[in-house]
Amino acid sequence: MDASPQEFRALVERHQGRVFSIAYRILGESGVAEEVAQDVFLELHRNLPRLASEEHATAWLRRVACHRATDALRRRAARGDVAAEEYQDGMALRPVVRDFMPLMNRVEQLLLTLPPPQRAVMLLRYQEDLEPEDIALELKMPLATVRSYLQRAVKTLRAKADRTLKEYSRG
Amino acid sequence: MVEKMDEFERELREQLQARSAPGGFADRVMARVPQRRAPRETFLGFGVPVWRWAVAAVLVAGMVVGGLEHDRQQRMAGERAREQVLLALRITGSTLRDVQQKVSARDERESFSQKGTVREHNDE
Repeated sequence: MDASPQEFRALVERHQGRVFSIAYRILGESGVAEEVAQDVFLELHRNLPRLASEEHATAWLRRVACHRATDALRRRAARGDVAAEEYQDGMALRPVVRDFMPLMNRVEQLLLTLPPPQRAVMLLRYQEDLEPEDIALELKMPLATVRSYLQRAVKTLRAKADRTLKEYSRG
Repeated sequence: MVEKMDEFERELREQLQARSAPGGFADRVMARVPQRRAPRETFLGFGVPVWRWAVAAVLVAGMVVGGLEHDRQQRMAGERAREQVLLALRITGSTLRDVQQKVSARDERESFSQKGTVREHNDE
């Protein structure tokens, strides 16, 4: 696949929302997410000759965005930028975030309480609408692991969402 | 229970629609994309720059000229060796002729002297 600067720009515009959202929802910070998303597109630019079609490029973007965002999260955790308990504790929403966040955005915040591999799988399932089989292929994970991550993540999110809703309605 | 799960999943799907990237995102990506360099001058469109062809041509020419020169020197050395062998053979030939002539002359002298001795003996 080859693209002129104009064609590449159009490709970026078509996929920027998808890539940014994956990075943002794994990392939880807009600035770092944009940095990662930009890097993903620059990597795409270098790899374009190896991709046969836009369909391949889309799958490539999803996969690389998940991996790069997870890597960035790991680097931040190693530097101590992210509190480890953020996704280990059952209800680890930071109080400031919890109090001022609109209800609509709470799903994204709840997502951040999941372990990073589960976040990636959930995003490919519910943001990208992929079937578990496709997620397994894209993330090179056993299908059973994907199914188990999905099941656990949905169960955890449901429990947390119920609690959040109760807290929210109590005011 | 299943219905509730489905509803929750539908909710997740709705709330996890892709967000918009921050404004000017594509501009910032394009500003970081390395500019493609002007196409390099190539020879016969083979995608190899002219200077590489030139270096390759000089190397090949050097090898050919070197090979020919080596060949010429080998041939000359062969010629010299052949001439030396022929000269040696000529010298040997003339020496052999001299020796042969000397031997023949001595044989003749000896046979004359023997004949004379025999005649003197018979006369007695």
